[in-house]
Amino acid sequence: MDLGFYLLQLVTGLAYASTLFLLAVGLSLIFGAMGIVNFAHGSFYMLGAYLLYAFTRGQGEGFWWGLLLVAAAGMVIGAVVERLFIRPIYRRPEEYQILLTYALLLILEDLVRFAFGAAYRSFPLPPTFASPLFLLGTPFPSYYLFLVGLAATVALLLWLFLQRTRLGVWVRAATQDREMLEALGVNVPLLYTSVFAGGIALAALGGAALLPLQAATPGMAVDAVIQAFIVVVIGGLGSVWGALLGAVLMGLIQAFGILVLPEMTMVFPFALMAMVLLLRPWGLLGRPPAVRT
Amino acid sequence: MKALRWLPVLALAVGLAWAQGQQPIKVGALFILSGNFAGYGKSGSQGAQLAVDEINARGGVLGRPLQLIVVDDQGNPEVGVREARRLVLQEKVDVLFGIDSSSVSLAVAPLTDEYKIPLVVTHAATPTLTEQCRPYVFRTSNNARMDAWAAAALAATLPVKRWANIGPDYEFGRVSWQDFITRLKQLRPDVEVVSEQWPRFGSTDYASFITALMRARPEGVFSTLWAGDMVIFARQAKAFGFFNQVRYFVNPVGAALEVLGPLGKEAPEGLLVSARYWFLYPNTERNRAFVEAYRKRFNEYPSYNAQEAYAGMHMLALAIQKARSTQAEAVRRAFEADGGLTYEAPEGRKRMRPEDHQVFEGLVWGYTKHSPEYPFAILDRMRIIPATDTVYPTQCKR
Repeated sequence: MDLGFYLLQLVTGLAYASTLFLLAVGLSLIFGAMGIVNFAHGSFYMLGAYLLYAFTRGQGEGFWWGLLLVAAAGMVIGAVVERLFIRPIYRRPEEYQILLTYALLLILEDLVRFAFGAAYRSFPLPPTFASPLFLLGTPFPSYYLFLVGLAATVALLLWLFLQRTRLGVWVRAATQDREMLEALGVNVPLLYTSVFAGGIALAALGGAALLPLQAATPGMAVDAVIQAFIVVVIGGLGSVWGALLGAVLMGLIQAFGILVLPEMTMVFPFALMAMVLLLRPWGLLGRPPAVRT
Repeated sequence: MKALRWLPVLALAVGLAWAQGQQPIKVGALFILSGNFAGYGKSGSQGAQLAVDEINARGGVLGRPLQLIVVDDQGNPEVGVREARRLVLQEKVDVLFGIDSSSVSLAVAPLTDEYKIPLVVTHAATPTLTEQCRPYVFRTSNNARMDAWAAAALAATLPVKRWANIGPDYEFGRVSWQDFITRLKQLRPDVEVVSEQWPRFGSTDYASFITALMRARPEGVFSTLWAGDMVIFARQAKAFGFFNQVRYFVNPVGAALEVLGPLGKEAPEGLLVSARYWFLYPNTERNRAFVEAYRKRFNEYPSYNAQEAYAGMHMLALAIQKARSTQAEAVRRAFEADGGLTYEAPEGRKRMRPEDHQVFEGLVWGYTKHSPEYPFAILDRMRIIPATDTVYPTQCKR
């Protein structure tokens, strides 16, 4: 019983970490490669959930196609948003980015409210995952296992992309020295569009993957972006693996913290963040800012 | 001929009195019309509007039409107080009405003494509101303590001893559980509590709470998760096989259409749930006519909040009619007279307790079950808890 139970806690913690990773990794990449602090990141996560609902008309049967469509739509939306709104402000001071992305957050929230109403939009568990799997006499919810698999797959593909493709190498280079990249004649605007589109697609995928366990609401965006920031602050802003580490730490602390101090569940993530900020202000896997000479 | 000088004054007075007779009686309603709970506010204001239209079609109250002004309090106490003041001072409303959120109701209540204006609450359920014994505050819907007592009355008849709780971590959740378990232990001293879980109100991830609950192996679980929280919890708990392990899941606010509607065909069967009104009960002429009228007008089934606002508006009209006035003191006496105002609502008889201005009524419970006629789960094997089982003592005196 107990071993099964701890394993179950581990799975639920990792499942939570998986959605956090999909949500936060784009935020981290976009900041790392482009220097943009995207407050609207959670809004694309919300949009992913609503789009899955719209594409499948809320029917569980269309789940797999729906996920693919959401990821593709996220790419397109991300590219369009980058071209129209983000591109004009690269050279401006940071407060412009914050104002602009915050405005995007508000606009998207109201757009969703206008299109779908304020009521909860929900989506059934896809038929494939309707019943739990039994391991060690403990019921394991199969959808949670799927989430862990999905995030692991994404992390692996992302690693391959960053290590093995030219574009990936440029992205990594951009996180280290953007000026140098331009001097070398790399098509930086195209690179930026791709990074933003990819990051948004992952966030939308994360929101869609979470929909069967939750419900789409206009208030999702704000909650999501706060959680995403906690994750990247813990892991290190701009680091893909930092986002993964931060998400896993958050997931596990949530899952096992509840066994020790059930009345303190709300405090854990913030306590963890505060500790990291005190000990390593640039995050666990982040790099301290270079000293400007 | 001195009297002639007074004639204009007299004419003016007569004219004023006549105009007064044509003046609408203004009812200022506060509901949540934005955010995640907007569904509740929407149905509440629809129910109130339906009642106002019925009353006006009969010629109004005291020969004056009712006029309903609905504002959004966002479920936020500061906004609620600000909007209530605006309704009283600028819109010159005669009565304040509605209110979904307990915290808003407690924040607005003191204004009734300040402005000498009646407040009729039709949803907010904290017992504290009527325990304050305010002279001009009336609640025409049942409160959370009655719900908890009804749940305890049912739970006492179930063949299980090990109970646990999962509820939202704020006053409503905490007080409901306290009321429920205290009452249950009075009725059944042999019950034991094996686990208490307190997720944040508005949580979206219940996995760790669900596994912690299942680990404690409760036979019965009491829950006051409501609105979207209950929708999300039910879906996640189902994925864990939670409802197969727990024999009785008891939720006094789980039969709200705002919960069963979004859950649709996914709702687990066999949950023991209630709402303050269930549109298929009672099977009377009165209730069928109400459901029909509401559906025709708004193209949806009336949720409990719709019926409570509808019934509350009719009770208010009765009190004003009886008082022959909208003055707070006269309305208070009308509500308290003859052992408390009674009204035959679609859900059955409502009676106002004169001491604390709390309405008591029978409550309907049942087990969720799917049927081909409805796109959501309905109540099966209904259990009616008579009003007498929920009458708790009060400190208030009149």
